[in-house]
Amino acid sequence: MINFKKVTKKYTHHFTALEDINLEIKPGEFVSLVGPSGAGKSTLIKMLIKEDRPTSGQVILDGVDLADVRDRDIPFLRRKIGTIFQDFRLLDSKTAFENVAFALEVSGAGEDEIAEDVPRVLAIVGLSEKHTNFPKEMSGGEKQRLAIARALIHRPKIILADEPTGNLDLVNSYDVLKLLWRINELGTTVILATHDREIVNTVGKRVISMEKGRVVRDQLEGGKYII
Amino acid sequence: MEKEKQVVKSYSLARIIKAGWINFRRNSFLSFGATGILALALLVLSGLIILNFFTDTVVSSLDEKVDVSVYFQDSAKEDQILKIKSDLEGLNNVKAVAYVSKEQALEDFKSRHGTDQLIQDSISELDYNPLQSSLNVKATAFGQYASIVKFLEDNPLKTAIDKINFYENEAAINRIESISKGLSVWGTTITIFLALVAVLVTFNTIRLTIYNKKEEIEIMKLVGASSWHIRGPFVAEGAFYGIFAAILALAIFYPAIHFASPKVLSFAPNINLQGYFMNYLGEMLLVVFGVGLLLGMISSGIAIRKHLKI
Ligand SMILES: Nc1ncnc2c1ncn2[C@@H]1O[C@H](COP(=O)(O)OP(=O)(O)OP(=O)(O)O)[C@@H](O)[C@H]1O
Ligand SMILES: [Mg+2]
Repeated sequence: MINFKKVTKKYTHHFTALEDINLEIKPGEFVSLVGPSGAGKSTLIKMLIKEDRPTSGQVILDGVDLADVRDRDIPFLRRKIGTIFQDFRLLDSKTAFENVAFALEVSGAGEDEIAEDVPRVLAIVGLSEKHTNFPKEMSGGEKQRLAIARALIHRPKIILADEPTGNLDLVNSYDVLKLLWRINELGTTVILATHDREIVNTVGKRVISMEKGRVVRDQLEGGKYII
Repeated sequence: MEKEKQVVKSYSLARIIKAGWINFRRNSFLSFGATGILALALLVLSGLIILNFFTDTVVSSLDEKVDVSVYFQDSAKEDQILKIKSDLEGLNNVKAVAYVSKEQALEDFKSRHGTDQLIQDSISELDYNPLQSSLNVKATAFGQYASIVKFLEDNPLKTAIDKINFYENEAAINRIESISKGLSVWGTTITIFLALVAVLVTFNTIRLTIYNKKEEIEIMKLVGASSWHIRGPFVAEGAFYGIFAAILALAIFYPAIHFASPKVLSFAPNINLQGYFMNYLGEMLLVVFGVGLLLGMISSGIAIRKHLKI
């Protein structure tokens, strides 16, 4: 389903954020992407939604080389994926409800579906009381959970979760983890980027370790966070 | 492709308008600025309509003062005169020709000097009519008189003509012509210039308003919004700027006309501002609302374009 072939990303001539990445991720996998800050985890995720392009190499999704996806088809690519951004990327001028509704609207849902699904997802992430709050009226953890709700709302085939527990306490972090698990069990491919050792060791599935832009280890089963 | 259609359909006009309205209300500070500027632009436009009304009135009242009279010999027969009249009417630079017979001229003369006993007495002492029959010619435009006069001078019935009062008036006609031409040219120049300034200022204000949202637009794209999902609400918001700006502009314009009109009338009795703008109320509403809506929507639509490039 997802293939990285010799992917290299250079931001400048002498700085390489990703170097010769070769990966294959199968449908329905739960992959933890670990590594110290600056290892290139977020950069890898950006390649998948074509927020950024590789300097060389190919990123292939569902058999399509993303380099061949035309600009006007990028929205379709992005609707297939639910991304939880490390820095949330919430719409500041929209309420919590509207932020989630927007992602659903964009994928073509009607009014009824929106009225039904959005409160349900907000309840799942524990934001039932916060429908009308704007992002600036929410705590860091609440914003993070809102970002999660938005990524899930349109039932994407792939979830890219970039540090989704970075702002959460232990209890909340495990709740989020369980949620991702459950979604994965329903058949969604999950890629979880994190440097939270506890979280990774709890998951115990495939773990890809990155350092300085390279994949240094790829444990296919029962992976641990090893440094 | 099919998918896109389906998405566009479900993303209905009502929803776009609602989203635009919510944005308009929430950005009250920015919306107020953009609406205010757009209202000013519409007031400038209304002012330009006044300016054009002024110049039109002045030009046409000058225009009315200009004509050429052709006086006929006593020996001229009426059918000759009427033949010349119909020849003149056949020219396409002639707007109107009025025939004043000897008798009519005398009547007019008498009634014009009805109170002057001396003139009345001296006329009644005469046993013949001293006045001449004449044709009064109005051209479609100032510049045409010379060629009309030329036409008369080349006419086979020219011998019936005694004189044409064009040459005495030529200097005055030319002067009036240049004044009125100048007025129209200046009026048009000022109109185009100010209208351009108004449009540019409006466009830039809206562009800045949208520039403020550039990060949000970026995020919308990242969650899979297509250009239309993003553009729609912005264009709707632009429409709301237009509607409120039009209301504001008209709420200032009409009371201002109401106050100014009597003052204008007192020094220019043929310029009735209130009468004119009440007469054309429907057209004014149409123009002000139409221009407001178009300016708001087109500016938003253009301003957002550069943010939509992926
Ligand atoms: N737009 C950019 N221009 C230049 N350098 C960049 C850019 N984006 C990222 N980088 C650099 O690329 C490297 C990898 O960044 P990335 O965000 O992928 O790290 P990460 O593994 O996600 O780190 P963290 O765990 O802190 O989120 C970093 O050194 C970063 O400074
Ligand atoms: Mg990161």
